[in-house]
Amino acid sequence: MVVLRAGLCPGLTEEMIQLLRANGIRTVVDFVSSDLENVAWKCSLSYKALVAVRRVLLAQFSAFPANGADLYEELKSSTAILPTGSPSLDQLLDSGLYTGEVTELMGAPGSGKTQVCLGIAASVSLGLKQHVLFLDSTGGFTASRLYQMLRAQTEDEEEQASFPGALQRIQVVRVFNIYELLSALQELRDRLSQQVVSSVGPLKLVVLDSVSAVIYPLLGGRQSEGLALMMQLSKELKTLAREFSLAVVVTNQVTRDGSTGPLKPALGRSWSFVPSTRLLLESREAPWEKATTQRVASLAKSPRQPTGVQVELDIGNGDVLEPSPVTPAQGL
Amino acid sequence: MRHPFPYEHFRNKSFVFFSLVGTLPLAPALRSRLAAAGFQTAQELLDTGPCGLSKEIGISREEALEALQVVRQECHGDAARTPGGSGATRKCTALELLEEEQTQGFIITFCSALDTILGGGVQLTKITEICGAPGVGKTQLCMQLAVDVQIPECFGGVAGEAVFVDTEGSFMVDRVVDIAAACVRHCHLIAEAQQEEDHREALETFSLENILSHIYYFRCRDYIELLAQVYLLPEFLSEHSKVRLVVIDGIAFPFRHDFEDLSLRTRLLNGLAQQLIIIANDHKTAVVLTNQMTTRIGQSQSTLVPALGESWGHAATVRLIFHWDNKSFQTGHSGSWPWSATCQAPEAQEFSHWGWDSVG
Repeated sequence: MVVLRAGLCPGLTEEMIQLLRANGIRTVVDFVSSDLENVAWKCSLSYKALVAVRRVLLAQFSAFPANGADLYEELKSSTAILPTGSPSLDQLLDSGLYTGEVTELMGAPGSGKTQVCLGIAASVSLGLKQHVLFLDSTGGFTASRLYQMLRAQTEDEEEQASFPGALQRIQVVRVFNIYELLSALQELRDRLSQQVVSSVGPLKLVVLDSVSAVIYPLLGGRQSEGLALMMQLSKELKTLAREFSLAVVVTNQVTRDGSTGPLKPALGRSWSFVPSTRLLLESREAPWEKATTQRVASLAKSPRQPTGVQVELDIGNGDVLEPSPVTPAQGL
Repeated sequence: MRHPFPYEHFRNKSFVFFSLVGTLPLAPALRSRLAAAGFQTAQELLDTGPCGLSKEIGISREEALEALQVVRQECHGDAARTPGGSGATRKCTALELLEEEQTQGFIITFCSALDTILGGGVQLTKITEICGAPGVGKTQLCMQLAVDVQIPECFGGVAGEAVFVDTEGSFMVDRVVDIAAACVRHCHLIAEAQQEEDHREALETFSLENILSHIYYFRCRDYIELLAQVYLLPEFLSEHSKVRLVVIDGIAFPFRHDFEDLSLRTRLLNGLAQQLIIIANDHKTAVVLTNQMTTRIGQSQSTLVPALGESWGHAATVRLIFHWDNKSFQTGHSGSWPWSATCQAPEAQEFSHWGWDSVG
C-alpha cells in the first residue's frame, strides 16, 4: 500500500495527486483498482494521462507471473545442497540442507541444538570452504567447542593448517533482541545485493540460534505486536533464503501444554508455516541423569521425505553411528 | 523475481533507509497508523517531514517529531557502521572469538571435581544456573563464588568484584566472613610455598575488609523489584567496571507465587533472560543464577526437574543440578561438555572452606 507521491513515476504531478486525494484516491492500490473513466470525469484529468500512469505503476509495483518450466530451470541452476557433515543427518534431510529454504531444529534444553548447528557450520566452512553467518541470540556460541569439532573431523596435519582459515570464514554476530536481529538481516541483505565480496565471500549458510529467544519476550501478555514482528522476521528470512540462494537454519524451543502434556514446538501455529523442514532433537533420558552424547533426531515436517523417520546422532565429536532402521514415530 | 521496492534507484544509499516501518522501534499504535496510511520504508517517513506526517496520520506535531527522531537515530546509528568495517558491535569471526576465549579466565570454585566438569570453573560471559533441592548448598556456592572472583590474578583468579542480588534473604554475612577468611588463609599458604614477590604484593590488598567491601549486595522482595534491578544493572556495571560476577540467588522464588497469567510470566522471564545475556556479554561478567526444583508428575513416576518451566531451561548456557544421593552430591551438567562427577558431602564443620574430595 504505497502512498501516491509526486515523482513516483513520470506523469504523476503534484496537482494530479491533490485532485486524486480530494476524491479519495491515496494509494497505488486505490488508483490501479479504480475505474479510470470515472476518475477522469470526477477529477477533470486527461484519460490518456491516467492510463499511462496506471501502466507505469503496474509495471513498477506488480509481480509478474513466471513460467513453471523457467522457474524449474532457474531453481535447478541456483539451488545447492549442503551436506551437514553427519551422514545420518543428511539422510534425514534428503542428502543435506537445501539452499533457498528455511530448516528448523527444535528440542528441549540440553538436547544438542547448538551442538548440531556448530557441527554444520564447521562442516560447511571446512569441507565446502563456504562462508557462514552465525547469528547468536543466546550467548551459547563457544569458539573452543567449534575448534574441538574441527579437530575431530580430520587428523591430517595439512588439513589442520587450514583451520584458522575455516574459523575466519565463520562470522559470528550477537543479536539479543528482535530489532538488532532485523537490522543485522537488513545489513546482510544490503551487502549481498551490492555484492561486496570482501567480508562476506560466497555466503551459503545462515544459522540463527535461537529464534525463540528473541521472539518469546514479545509474545504473551496482552501485546499483539509480537506476532507482527515474528512475521516480519519470517518474511525477511525466507526472502533472503530465496533471493540469494542461502540455506537458513534456525533453532527453536519446545513447550508443553500444562505440565504433563506432550512436547510441541514453540512459537505457535503461525511460525509452524515458516520452515519447510523441521527436525526434533531428543535424548533418551534426561540429560543430567546419565552422561551421554547420544541424541535422536526425528523428522517432523518435510516437503520431500516421509515424516516420522528417526536417526541416532552423536553430538560428542562428530562420530557418526549407523543410521537406525526406519521406525515410524509419532509425528508432531 | 521482482523487488516490490525500487531498490535500483537508491543503489548509492545505505540499506538502512529501507528499513521497513514494521521493524523500527516505534510504539505499536503508531506503527499500525503508519501502515494504514501507506508508509513502508524509513526513507518515506524522513521525506515527509513532521508536518506532513502529523497531517497524514492524525497525530500531534510533537509526537511526529519524536517519532522522526527515533527513526533518524536508528538510521544514523546503523549508517555509522559501514559494511565491512568494524564499527558494528558484537560482530567478529570465530577465529577472533577463539583467541578471546583462550585468554579469558575462569572463576574457580575450590572444588576440583566441580571445576573439572565446568571445564575450568565458572565461565565469564555465560549464564550458569545452579539447581537443587532446598538445603543442598546453592547459596553457599554463590557466596563462595563471590569471594573467589576476587582472587588476584597471580593466584589464578580474575581479580574482579561481585554483585549479589538476593531475593530470598538467605545471604549470611558471617558465613561470607568465614569463607573469605579461609580463602585468604589458602592464598597465604600458596604464597609461603612458592615465595614469589607478586604473590606477597597481591596479598597486601587481598584482605577480609577488601573482600567484603567489593561484594555489592542488593535485596529484592518481589519480581518487580528484581526486574527493575536487572534492568538498572548495566548502568551500575558501567560505573563499576571491575565487576566480574553477578549472582542472582533465587530467580525462581519471586516468580513462583501469585502469578495468574502464565503467559505474562513466560514473557517476563524471557525478557529477563535476554537482559542477563546482554549483561554477561557486554560487561564480560559471569552471571550465576540459582533455581529451585519442582516435581513433574509423569504417567508412571514423578521426577524432580528445575522450576520455571521448559522455556526457562534455554536461558542458561550451563546448568548444574545438585542431587542428594545417600550423603553424597551428584552433579549433572547440561551444556557443552556433558560429563558428570560425584563428590562426597563435606563434614558439617568443614563447610566454611568447602573441603570437598572428589570421588571417582
